[in-house]
Amino acid sequence: MGDFKLTTVEEFEAATERLLETGKKVGADGWQYRVKNQTPHCKFGEQGICCRICAMGPCRITPKAPRGICGCDVHGIVARNYLKFTAGGSATHSDHGREICHTLYCTDPNGAYKVKDPEKLIRIAKEWGVETEGKDIYDLAHEMALLALGEYGKVFGYQNFINRAPEHTQELWKKQEIAPRAIDREVSCSLHMTHMGCSSLPEALIRQSLRSGLCDGWGGSMAGTEFSDVLFGTPKPIETEANLGVMNADNVNIVVHGHDPSLSEMICEIADSPEMIAYAKEKGAKGITISGVCCTSNEVAMRRGIPMAGNFLQQENVVLTGACELIVVDVQCIFPALGPLSKCFHTKFVTTSPVAQMPDSDFIRFSPENATENAKAIVKMAIDNFENRKPELVHIPQMKQKATVGYSVEAIKKQLDTVANSQVDEFGTTKPLIECITSGVLRGAVAMVGCNNPKVRPDTAHIELMKKLIANDIIIVASGCSAQAAAKAGLMDKRAKDLCGAGLKRVCELADIPPVLHMGSCVDISRMMVLVAELAKDSGLNISQLPVVGCAPEWMSEKAVSIGNYVVATGLDTFLGVDPYVSGSDKVAELLTSGIRDWVEAAYTVEKDIDKLGDKMIERIEEKRRAIGI
Amino acid sequence: MTLFDVVFSGNDAVYGLTENAINEAIAKYGEDKAVAFPDTAYSLPCYYGVTGTKVGNLGELKAALGVVKTLMTREQKLNDAFMSGVATALCAEFIEVLKYIDGATPYEAPCYGHLADAVIRELGVPLVTGDIPGVAVLLGAAPTTEDAVALVKSYQSQGILVTLTGGIIDQLEEAGYKTGANVRVIPLGKDVTSVIHVVSVAIRAALIFGNVTPGDAGALMEYTMKRVPAFVNAFAPLDPVIVACGAGAIALGFPVVTNEDTFKVPKSLINQPDVSKFNATSLEARDIKIKITNIDIPVAYASAFEGEIIRRKDMQVEFDGSRVDCFELVQTKEMSEIEDHKIELIGPDIDTFEVGSKHSLAYIVEVAGKSMQADFEPVIERKFHSYLNCVEGAYHTGQRDMFRIRIGKDTFAAGFRAKHIGEILYAKVKSEFAAVVDKCQVKIITDAELCTKLRHELAIPVFDKRDERLLTLTDESVDVYYSCIMCQAFSPSHVCVVTPERLGLCGAVSWLDAKATNELDPQGPCQVITKERPIDERIGEYEDVNEAVNKFSQGALDDVSLYSIIEKPMTSCGCFECICGIEPLSNGVCIANREYAGMTPIGMTFSELASMTGGGVQTPGFMGHGKHFIASKKFMKAEGGVARIVWMPKELKEQVAERLNATAKELYNIDNFSDMIGDETIAEDPETLLAFLEEKGHPALSMEPMM
Repeated sequence: MGDFKLTTVEEFEAATERLLETGKKVGADGWQYRVKNQTPHCKFGEQGICCRICAMGPCRITPKAPRGICGCDVHGIVARNYLKFTAGGSATHSDHGREICHTLYCTDPNGAYKVKDPEKLIRIAKEWGVETEGKDIYDLAHEMALLALGEYGKVFGYQNFINRAPEHTQELWKKQEIAPRAIDREVSCSLHMTHMGCSSLPEALIRQSLRSGLCDGWGGSMAGTEFSDVLFGTPKPIETEANLGVMNADNVNIVVHGHDPSLSEMICEIADSPEMIAYAKEKGAKGITISGVCCTSNEVAMRRGIPMAGNFLQQENVVLTGACELIVVDVQCIFPALGPLSKCFHTKFVTTSPVAQMPDSDFIRFSPENATENAKAIVKMAIDNFENRKPELVHIPQMKQKATVGYSVEAIKKQLDTVANSQVDEFGTTKPLIECITSGVLRGAVAMVGCNNPKVRPDTAHIELMKKLIANDIIIVASGCSAQAAAKAGLMDKRAKDLCGAGLKRVCELADIPPVLHMGSCVDISRMMVLVAELAKDSGLNISQLPVVGCAPEWMSEKAVSIGNYVVATGLDTFLGVDPYVSGSDKVAELLTSGIRDWVEAAYTVEKDIDKLGDKMIERIEEKRRAIGI
Repeated sequence: MTLFDVVFSGNDAVYGLTENAINEAIAKYGEDKAVAFPDTAYSLPCYYGVTGTKVGNLGELKAALGVVKTLMTREQKLNDAFMSGVATALCAEFIEVLKYIDGATPYEAPCYGHLADAVIRELGVPLVTGDIPGVAVLLGAAPTTEDAVALVKSYQSQGILVTLTGGIIDQLEEAGYKTGANVRVIPLGKDVTSVIHVVSVAIRAALIFGNVTPGDAGALMEYTMKRVPAFVNAFAPLDPVIVACGAGAIALGFPVVTNEDTFKVPKSLINQPDVSKFNATSLEARDIKIKITNIDIPVAYASAFEGEIIRRKDMQVEFDGSRVDCFELVQTKEMSEIEDHKIELIGPDIDTFEVGSKHSLAYIVEVAGKSMQADFEPVIERKFHSYLNCVEGAYHTGQRDMFRIRIGKDTFAAGFRAKHIGEILYAKVKSEFAAVVDKCQVKIITDAELCTKLRHELAIPVFDKRDERLLTLTDESVDVYYSCIMCQAFSPSHVCVVTPERLGLCGAVSWLDAKATNELDPQGPCQVITKERPIDERIGEYEDVNEAVNKFSQGALDDVSLYSIIEKPMTSCGCFECICGIEPLSNGVCIANREYAGMTPIGMTFSELASMTGGGVQTPGFMGHGKHFIASKKFMKAEGGVARIVWMPKELKEQVAERLNATAKELYNIDNFSDMIGDETIAEDPETLLAFLEEKGHPALSMEPMM
């Protein structure tokens, strides 16, 4: 194993402690303190039994007051809140997807945005029945962009991408009336259903939650992923590094944060130009280091090998290093705390999207049409700010791990081709993976996704579960902040094979992969849907029969609930480490953890004890194996 | 039943047999009876290798069986299956050693049984050097005797060591097939347990050559997996005992190929119903590549012929890219798209051509490999020149769609035909690029129409795309340059310094090509040249570049500039696409390309200019270069850049106009610069040219004198 060693959560925490000391010196706040101030949390809110959708209330349900003023019972209130939560998530992911479609519309052979993967564009166009023969690739891009934007408001029919699902799944969706129609329609319909005086029947509300989730996973998110690949290239394995040690004290440090690669790609592009590097040198720096936080970091790591400074709950840490010249954000999961925090340091906090505007930030409105100028202004602002750095406040924890990332479905299949035998096997399929699973060499797979949440010791659940699963010959595909937790720990270093059971270890060696595969950002969970769909088709099994489950042990956002809904609705049992505010209604909880299995062949399991959560996943995987006799 | 259950049941069965056999032996001889294999210092080598414990008598053997039992865990995990496989192998070793009690000789010819340490030491060197590229372990009986013979023969012809266990031994005997260590076909024994004797070889190899500490099972298995290129061919029907043995083999890293329809595990347990494909399937599974040493052509093939020239009068037939449509191309394909060693001729063969005639020719070498990258395509392609030149009585110059091949009359008379070009390319690409090319097929096209079509629709777009990639790179933006001495066969003192903005003068080796060449073959023709110590940035002279040029020209050259045609210009070999030379009257330079047969205003044709310039000698005022270099911002930068260009052939001008105009616009803010440049339709003499240049207001006229 040589000198390879995982970084422990204790080491992460010691580094954070040291940074918080710097924070104290300059009077900085931190989420750690705010959690204390907010504890204990409101019990009504936690159980999902507070209703404030009309001005007669707010109403909250207690044994003495079992119904709201309108007469709605606790089950209706909990389910309504759950659907609203979901709709928030699907709206968010899908709007991100819409921005990407818009960027696709702005592509120009001489412009800032180009079509970097024309083959993929043609492939999707053919899938959608669009004539590609003899068409200029940019004409095709614009045509596809319009069609994709049309998916948000299409008058009739379902999302185009659902045709990628196995027949059985599609039939199930249609039969259960959860096949996703226009994306905006599902979100609007959800908000309509949750309006005062509409639905209060838990079954109807949960059904729409699944449908709203599906319009995200097989609609907006999938558009976001697929067309990002067309624009910026489909990820393939690439080496990078993760954790705060990737920041470089000698360089101008720019941190990209948020989700939309249209911004971060352009920042990387500009920061890499000789002109900007020369300018940085002129200003006394040795160069420019771009690193990332959250999902936009995943995007540029997957495509460019840009290092990952950290995940969601590490966003304040990058500023606390005192070496961050500028943190530029687009949308989603950005702490408003970054504004006041940046004021304690020389750091510039730059917001760019009309969707995410915050106090105490410099707002540079970013648009695909002016991307180059916008990005130049931002990079230049960072360089100009280098001289304002206060050396006495600089401390970058020297902690980082190597990671191989970039496992899109296309890349996974390419990797699997390397273990196929051209004398007997087909290429370009998932069959080698299926053979590993049916023979028992791999027991199954877990899709680890989701955020950090202070309710769970940050990163612990992700890392401990992954360690447990890989030791049991279960391969992990990860995305979002879960993937970053894995990368920070070292689980995406190929040498982590030595932590695996003999089966997964052998697979890692033969296929030359790490045991935890980074599949991208949170919208890229759509990649996982495509992967399981292909596994089902290649194996002749239904998705729900595959020994594959999903897991979000530290989730926190509305997006995560939307994701959970589409993952479950796609047929994968999903394991949560944080309750989605439904404990107030036994009926809703029962529906989510069991009742919906009758509709979609999968359901949720909520288990706050992380070790037990792992046991339950392994048990479910083995159950599924027994059921199909492998 | 799961695969693991099958392994477990096979393991249990063998364990039971072993336990009985040991108990019976103890009952018969007593616990103190010595047990040992003859001629080995490693006790029971497998057991010793895995546990570090030597077994000397039956009592110890019984104790060892107790240790084996601890390996036989029964969880549904690969580790349990692997360990049960190892346990099965150890049981087999125990059963086998019992056969040798009291110095018995349990095996008779043709079977060998246990192999002595001396045999392993003999095998060590050829295994390391690749003279024995693999070890095939054949188990059971092939479907027919003919299948058995054919398979063994196929391995033998590749130099692979073959060991036989079970029914196949009788099949070979029946066919009268010669076996024995001297022909690298070793029958071990007819019981399945005798397969342990080849496992014993692998394990002793780890102990002898790998310095693995006995008992370090992890290191042992890593050694066998990475270093011992063995694989198993197990013939149907497979019983659980064989499957359990197979698990042991896979644990050691040896894939099992079988014609039984059973479980599949990529690269480990492979179902190949067609026994005639066992060879190819196994080699691919174990990543064994067979070196090709024999090229199947009717004339000699050696580097001695590389510099040979075929005169027109000796020529049977000629393919000339400067006159008709020709191209050579390497294309990466998927593994499944390629049938290895397929040579396809599309169009008439050479014997239908008139003596001395000129024809179109294209050859597309399609390759696939798990480590193949598109970046390597041009690198492989560049080697075609040297590959085809090594044929006795044939010659090749140029590259891409501008090559010329001549085939001599004697060579034709000896039977050389179009397909032999394919044979040569196949054999050389497979052997020299074994690191990246797993499979290769060649299409040879003599159909003139198809050549024309593919040249324009397939080849030129590929060449353009490669050139485009270079546009994003500049001399300043990279840290190193590369040398290229690929042409030293013709021009022994010539060295190209390849930079992003100045490709090799043959037009075929870009900076990226050179980089890839260096990556593929770090000792090869392209070496890294640093550029850390500039002497004069104006003409592009560096101390480190000079040192490199001196070294690679074997002292023939001391200094070169990258950007000047007057001061220390780079040398030319003879392969250049273009030559430029000073035209004194207009204070500029004329460029002629190889395809241009007419006169230039300098008063010399391309051929005459070429004779001035080649041979690796510095000729101030003349310079060979690639077409692509014409539009470079570094073209004669020291003398003022592209503004010096006053004349070039019309066709060449049209080819480079777009990029040249862009460069002139950027450097001098001149629009449509190419319109100011003369060509053969305007002038073939300096006076007419000058008048034209004056009329156009060509910038060279007002620049500083060149000399």
